Amino acid sequence: MSATAIAVQGLHKHFGEKEAVAGIELSIAAGSFAGLVGPNGAGKTTSLSMMTGLLRPDLGRILINGVDVWADPPAAKAVIGVVPAEARLFERLTGRELLEYAGRLRGIDVAACRSRAEELLGVLDLVGDANRLVADYSTGMRKKIALGSALIHNPSVLFLDEPLEGVDPVSADSIRRLLTRFVASGSTVLFSSHVMELVEQVCDHVSIIDKGRIVASGTTDEVRGGKTLHQAFIDLVGTRLDGGEGLSWLGSSSA
Amino acid sequence: MAWLLVRLKLRLLRNALRGSRQARGAFIFSCIAAAVVAVLMFLGLAAQRGQSEGVAVAATTFTSLAFGWLILPLLVFGLDSTLDPATLALYPLRTRPLAFGLLAASAAGAWPAANLIGLLGVTVGVARGALGVLFALVAVVLQLLFCIVLARAVTTSLAGLLRSRRGKDFAALLIIPIFALYETFVQLVPRLTAEGKINEHTFDGIDKVLRWTPPGLAAHAIQDASTGHALTGLARLLLLAAIVFLLGLAWIRSLDRALVTVDTSTQAVAVRASALPFAARGLRGTIAARALIYQRREPGAKIFWGIVLVIMAASAVGTVRTPSYLGGLIGSAVIGAAFVGIFNADAIGMTGPAFGFDAMALHSRASWRDYFAGLDLVLLAFAVPLTGLLSFILAFAAGHPLSGFIALAVDLAGVGIGTGLGNMMSVLLPYPVERRVGSPSPRAIDGYRGQVLAATFLILILTGVLLAPVIVAGLLTQHDPAALRLPPLLAASAVYGLGLCTVFRRTAARLAENRLPELCEIAFRSKL
Repeated sequence: MSATAIAVQGLHKHFGEKEAVAGIELSIAAGSFAGLVGPNGAGKTTSLSMMTGLLRPDLGRILINGVDVWADPPAAKAVIGVVPAEARLFERLTGRELLEYAGRLRGIDVAACRSRAEELLGVLDLVGDANRLVADYSTGMRKKIALGSALIHNPSVLFLDEPLEGVDPVSADSIRRLLTRFVASGSTVLFSSHVMELVEQVCDHVSIIDKGRIVASGTTDEVRGGKTLHQAFIDLVGTRLDGGEGLSWLGSSSA
Repeated sequence: MAWLLVRLKLRLLRNALRGSRQARGAFIFSCIAAAVVAVLMFLGLAAQRGQSEGVAVAATTFTSLAFGWLILPLLVFGLDSTLDPATLALYPLRTRPLAFGLLAASAAGAWPAANLIGLLGVTVGVARGALGVLFALVAVVLQLLFCIVLARAVTTSLAGLLRSRRGKDFAALLIIPIFALYETFVQLVPRLTAEGKINEHTFDGIDKVLRWTPPGLAAHAIQDASTGHALTGLARLLLLAAIVFLLGLAWIRSLDRALVTVDTSTQAVAVRASALPFAARGLRGTIAARALIYQRREPGAKIFWGIVLVIMAASAVGTVRTPSYLGGLIGSAVIGAAFVGIFNADAIGMTGPAFGFDAMALHSRASWRDYFAGLDLVLLAFAVPLTGLLSFILAFAAGHPLSGFIALAVDLAGVGIGTGLGNMMSVLLPYPVERRVGSPSPRAIDGYRGQVLAATFLILILTGVLLAPVIVAGLLTQHDPAALRLPPLLAASAVYGLGLCTVFRRTAARLAENRLPELCEIAFRSKL
């Protein structure tokens, strides 16, 4: 049995009266490609922020490769890479500068930083835009450069929040292949997404979160239970909108 | 269409009252300011009655207003949703009715009304007789039309650029000359007027140029009609009408184009970039490298330095040619140092969500020390030469160049103190910021005003108090031979400033060590 890369125990977080995360338990084996799916406001981003040491939990414990994130943040941060949902980037650096900056922040030797940056720019198809400011990048390019920044120190666990949102199919495919290769080498990926088809395609482990709680977790096949992941998700979370009854005028050709 | 867009504009203005308390306050203040300007302008122009230079004053006023209409929409682009043609591009609208609609929408609101009412002061101050008043009414309407069409033509032709990152950067930098002009107006004009150096004859030379500009044509047409030269006045008004018409045509053509094109200048641009500097300096060098690049590429940094220098100059300008010049020079250096601290008192909030990047490396007191040291090194590398140079320029202007060394001593100690206090406030009183449309630099989001005020006052007071020994030493030794007193004064001041900077930086690092998640939360709430 493989070792546990991410272990979350009894994680809680309140924002005022609102309970954003209400006791999450999660265990992801090393070498997994894990998906965290849930509706908007379910607590995905809050949970990922706490797992990556950027948001202090009210209660609970998070272990990354056996290291307690909140007891020993430097050791935990050294082995993780993070791509947040809204890519938090230094807009006035160029793509190349940003990669070098990310590597140097992680204490990587400058020569290694520069050679890794060039390789990542190539793999992410950003060589032609390497000297443009990140502020001028499209959404897809921002996601790619954020991914490059999260990978430059070769983390063993990668957290991604909506990594393919707004990314064109070609770029999405190159990101997917890069992540698959990363996982094949024994590293672990945990990513949140709304796109069930994508999660179904790439993930071997899925957790469904709703109202701050994990409502299903296991291998993708276990969670699907013979249905599509989309249907399993809808069954667990429920639909929240009616079918548009009342819009009798919609669809007629007259104004 | 015209009525629809006017109603849209009025609805947008009314909705300002439903926004946050701050937005509501700003809207009410703006309306009151518009009313005050209308009354003052009307009275100012009306007071020209019987004055020989009345027409020159009117021409200057008309031209100043046109200049305001030209510049302000560039600064507040996006504030008025009807300014950007792209917001209307989705609708099936023909250009000509759209143009009339946009024109009518521009004329709606408190400020256009204030302009109209204020300008009508010429019916009392410049016009004589019924014909003069008739010409004045037409001239005021044409002048207002000219202002609106000019503003529309410029914003529409630049709309694509102003939506781009480069255009926004350029528009943001306009705040520096505007702030400098404002300070000049506030500090110099009242003094020069009191000294009699600005009087009615000052406008003689100006009017020789302005009379041939469109606003000048409007003002002089009233004068002509009032002095029996109605035909000349009519010719001027016709010429002004033709200019407005041609400008309107140019605007409609650019509107046609703007609806179906986008600015691509930003997409094409690659910046001159090389590897990040300070490679061998660890985390401190990495942070300094990023900070240095931001000083070059972030317009906010240029605005900050521009405003610090303008504030320093403005605070000394009143005394620089008087016997109290030394007090002015020292005061200017103290204020400059304090503002270096004030503008950097929210390093983390101002970094915004990108702070998440840096946060991955900030896990110990030593790393926080390196973080602040990297930021401080770059800040000091700019602050010392800039404030020092300005102090010497002011000392030369005062006719006492050697006094520049005393101000330089205050600068050396002050920027160190200000920078260190900025580190402390960044941790003690951090606040998230947001970039608001119409404001060139980010401001604290609602609910954090207290932090801004507290940090500002604390830095102002502490900088003044901590600089007292340097100021006292400078003043007590000012009559000693320069070669004996200045080297130790400058060296001691630099060491004193650096020492306090280090103490504050280390304290900030100690305080920040266990506050990373809270500081991250502040940074992530910033909207930049």
